[in-house]
Amino acid sequence: MTWRIVAKKDFRDAVQSRALWALVAVFVIVSVLSSFAYVEAPELFGEPGGATFGGLLFFTAGIASLFVPIAAIVGCYKSVAGERELGSIKLLCSLPTTRADVFAGKVLGRAAVLGFGLGVGLIVGLGFGAAMLGALDVVAAITFLFVTLAFVAVYATIVVGLSATTGSTSRATTLALGFFVVFELLWDAVVLGILYVAGGFSMPNPATMPEWAFTVSQIPPSAAYFSSIVALLPDLASRANAEPAQAGTEAGAAGGESFFASPEIGFVVLACWLVLPLVVGYVRFDTADL
Amino acid sequence: MAAIETRGLTKRFGDVVAVSDLDLVVEEGEIFGFLGPNGAGKSTTIDILLDFIRPTSGTVTVLGHDAQSEGRAVRQRTGVLPDAYHVYDRLTGRQHVEFALEMKGVDEDPVALLDRVNVADAADRKAGGYSKGMRQRLILAMALVGDPDLLVLDEPSTGLDPNGAREMREIIREENARGTTIFFSSHIMEQVEAVCDRVAIIDRGELVAVDTIDGLRHATETGETLYVSVTELDEGVREAVAGLDGVGSAAIDDGQLRLTITGGSKFAVLESVDEIAAVQDFSVIESSLEDLFVRYTTETQEVDA
Repeated sequence: MTWRIVAKKDFRDAVQSRALWALVAVFVIVSVLSSFAYVEAPELFGEPGGATFGGLLFFTAGIASLFVPIAAIVGCYKSVAGERELGSIKLLCSLPTTRADVFAGKVLGRAAVLGFGLGVGLIVGLGFGAAMLGALDVVAAITFLFVTLAFVAVYATIVVGLSATTGSTSRATTLALGFFVVFELLWDAVVLGILYVAGGFSMPNPATMPEWAFTVSQIPPSAAYFSSIVALLPDLASRANAEPAQAGTEAGAAGGESFFASPEIGFVVLACWLVLPLVVGYVRFDTADL
Repeated sequence: MAAIETRGLTKRFGDVVAVSDLDLVVEEGEIFGFLGPNGAGKSTTIDILLDFIRPTSGTVTVLGHDAQSEGRAVRQRTGVLPDAYHVYDRLTGRQHVEFALEMKGVDEDPVALLDRVNVADAADRKAGGYSKGMRQRLILAMALVGDPDLLVLDEPSTGLDPNGAREMREIIREENARGTTIFFSSHIMEQVEAVCDRVAIIDRGELVAVDTIDGLRHATETGETLYVSVTELDEGVREAVAGLDGVGSAAIDDGQLRLTITGGSKFAVLESVDEIAAVQDFSVIESSLEDLFVRYTTETQEVDA
C-alpha cells in the first residue's frame, strides 16, 4: 500500500510550510493569552463562579472551532490542486501507485501535519492555563484533545477533498473559502432562512422551534465538534454553562430526549463530514485528466 | 511482445482533437524517438501511456498491461521523466530519490543514483534551489530507480546544456544496452537522430511517418544534393545534365549546378557531368533530417489548409 509512503512524503513536505507554522504560532499566542484572560477575569466570559478547568476547555474549544478551519484551509487548499497546477503530481503519479493511494496519502499526510501543529498549540495553551489555575482534569483534557484532533482530521479531509475536485488553485481557494463562509460564518442565517421558508414565509418564533432546527444547526463541522465535546463531557459542560449553541437552543434544551436533538448528533455529523469529502474528492480526482 | 502498443488512440479536449486515431508499436529493446512540433500531441500520448489522462477512444498496452486498468503494474516497471513537472521545493534531492525507491519497493543507494546523473553533490540540498538542468537530472535519477524495463522520457534535454544533453544520450544508450526500451519525445530532430533506432513523426495529433532514420532518408527523393562547379554553365549544359542517368533534377543555383541524385553512384554522375562540361569542384549535401522533419510537418499543414 503506497498511501503510507505518500502520506510520509506529504508530511515531510507540508510540515515545512511557513504559513502553517505562523498560524500555529498565532494559535499558541491566542490560546495562551486567552487562557490568561479567562483565568484572570472569568466573569468577563460568562463565568461569575470563577474559572474552572472545564470552563477553560470549553473556552479553548471555542477558539479551536475558529482556528482549525482556518488552519485547514491554509494548510490544505493546495494539497492536490496545487500539485496538479504545478505539475508535481506527474512525479507522484508516474510511480507505481493509484489515484486512491495518492488521495488517501494526501488526506492522512495533511491531517497529520495539522494535528501535529495544532496539537502542540493546544497542549501549550492548556498547559499554561492549567498551570495558572493550579487544576488539571487529565481525563477531560485527553478527551478534549482527542475530539479536537478528530475535528482537525475531519477538516483536513474536507479541504483536501475540495482541493482534489479541481486542478486550479484559485478554484480550490474559492471552494475552501466558500465552504468556510457558508458553513462557519453564515450558517445561522441559513438555518433562519430554512425556518422562514418552512414556516410559510414568516419569521420563526423562538418559542416554537421545531426539533429539526437544532439538527440543521449542527451541520457545520465546528458546531458538531462543540456538541461532541458536550456529549463526551456532560458534567463539565453543564457546570461550564456550555451547551450546543446557535439557533434552536430552546428546542435542543427542552427536547433532549430525541437523538436528533441531543449533542450526540455531533458524532454523526462529524462522521458524515469525513465520508462525504472522501467520496466526492476521490470520484472527481480518479476521473480527472491530470 | 511490444513494449508499447496503441490502437486507434484518440483524445479530445472539448472540441480540440489532441491525438487522432494513433496506431503505434514500439518493440522491446529499441530506442524510439517520438518527434513532432510543440502541440503536436506528443505529451498527450505520453500522458495516456502513464494514465495521467484518459483516452476518448482506443486502447493502449504498455509492457503487456492495459495502461488504464493496470496502470500500477505498468509504472512499476517504467521509469518516467514527465513533461512540465515540478519538483517538491522543500524536499532534498535525496528525499526525492528515496521516495521513488520506497514507492517502487526497491532497495538501492539513493546517492549512487544521484551520482549517475551528476547531482550527488547536491543530494542534501532542497530541490527548490536546483537549476533547471539539475532538476532534470534529479528526475532522471528517480526514473532510473529499480532498473526499469521501459524509460519514457518527455523532452529529456529540456533545460540541459550541450554537455548535459550529451550525458543524457549516454545514459539512454547505457540503459538501452542493459535491455531497457527507451521511448522519448522531442521537438528537436538532432537529438532523436543521434540515438534512435526508429522514429515516429506526429503532427496535429496524427502520425505522419514511422521509420528508421535511414528509412526516412530513403523515403524522400532528395536523399542527397550535389553541387558542381563547371567551367561553362548555361541552359544547354543544365538540360544535358538533367538528362543523365541517376540525376533527378538539375538547376542552376548561384553559378553552380545543383543536382539531386535519385540513385546509383554520385561518382558516375560526376564523371558524366565532366564529359559535358569540365568539373572544377563539387560538394555533397546530405539532406538533414531536420529538413525532412520540417517537410513532413509543414506539408500536412498545407494539405489541411
